[in-house]
Amino acid sequence: MIRLDGITKQYGLNPVLRGVDLQVKQGEFVTLVGPNGAGKSTLLRIVATLLRPTAGTVAVGGWKLPQQAENVRAHIGLVSHQPLLYRDLTAAENLAFFARAYRLENAQERVAAALQKVGLFARQRDPVGTFSRGMVQRLTIARATLHEPDVLLLDEPYTGLDQEATRLLDNLLLDEAQLGRTILMITHDLGHGLSLADRLVILWRGRIAREVKRAEITPAAVYDLYAEVTTR
Amino acid sequence: MQAYLAAVWAVVWKDLKIEGRTRQSISVMVMFSLVTIIMFNFALGTDLDAARGVATGLLWTTILLAAILGLNRSLALDRENQVFDALLIAPMPRTALYLGKVVSVTLFTLLLEAILVVLFTVFFNEPFYQLPVLLVLFLGTIGYIAVGVLITSMTIQARSREVLLPVLLLPASLPLVLPAAQAVAAYVTATGPDDPILASVRSAIFLVLAYDLLMVAVGLLTYHYVVES
Repeated sequence: MIRLDGITKQYGLNPVLRGVDLQVKQGEFVTLVGPNGAGKSTLLRIVATLLRPTAGTVAVGGWKLPQQAENVRAHIGLVSHQPLLYRDLTAAENLAFFARAYRLENAQERVAAALQKVGLFARQRDPVGTFSRGMVQRLTIARATLHEPDVLLLDEPYTGLDQEATRLLDNLLLDEAQLGRTILMITHDLGHGLSLADRLVILWRGRIAREVKRAEITPAAVYDLYAEVTTR
Repeated sequence: MQAYLAAVWAVVWKDLKIEGRTRQSISVMVMFSLVTIIMFNFALGTDLDAARGVATGLLWTTILLAAILGLNRSLALDRENQVFDALLIAPMPRTALYLGKVVSVTLFTLLLEAILVVLFTVFFNEPFYQLPVLLVLFLGTIGYIAVGVLITSMTIQARSREVLLPVLLLPASLPLVLPAAQAVAAYVTATGPDDPILASVRSAIFLVLAYDLLMVAVGLLTYHYVVES
């Protein structure tokens, strides 16, 4: 579903990604971890069509970037630590706007269903600016999945969430994974990232340093592996 | 084409909704304009001839500066919470984003101009409410906002955007503002339809129209690069 070959990204003379090869199969949940500056967000923004790589090729769902970016955009959803929502619009208005942007049919029904899914139907007429961080993040999931994308890209979605909000977000993400969506998530929380994912990828200094399947490693061992890889 | 227009309308609808709820752009633009008019009225005192002499220039200056406030506010809104990223990954043409923004900021500016025309007519005792004047203001606004949205999109991420925008936008809009101001002044001071002062108006309006078409075309062709760079 996602295929990256030899991705390099350079800002001026500073290389951020140095030849990354990564494949994510359809329906797979992959967590990408690494220290600050490893190039995780840059990699995600390249897949999200927000950045162009300096070298290498990217394909999502068989469509090549940047040539077929518009096709790719119709099939991806992005959740970031920033809500990507208008705080002065209500929950329903935000989703209605994005439904129009995605040219969705039966927009009203879809918006109502999305709000039901994330438990915000009762608050649909409230401006997003009045929501708690957890509610905003649930609405963000509703926005990102409103058009039922094949690929969900998550950039540190748990930032600033309390335990209850984290649990709710976990359930939402697992539901999305159950629907067969391909998920690529960035997080700093190794144990949490591993518990949700099928595969954990460690990015270090712009390269993929190690990949490990969840079945192959215990949650405790993943911290040792991460420390070993990132202190080399 | 219908899908394209629907995308443009989505952006306009969203901006109008937000402005209707917060009134942040319009209120700032109107407040600034009011202060400017009152200040100049006091400065010019009871010398009505002097006031009439500068009225057209003052009207345009007020519009240009107030529109800068509106442009900054309107485009900054899309950058809050990085919501612009969500717009960029939506499968809508970049040009629809651009046109939507031009339409919504133009509407805010036209609303301001409607208020200003009344105020200038009252304060300066000049007939700014004539249809030809309104038409020139309308045409001038389109060109100014078309180039304004493009330049604001370039400067919006800069730390010194409040300084950069007028420094870049005002010189770029001179070829528009000079003939537009000339045309408005001619209509306001003309004693009748046969007044020789109106002879130059046609070419001035032609220049304004040409600038509008050129800047909208430049915006449509380059916005893609501006937002993706």
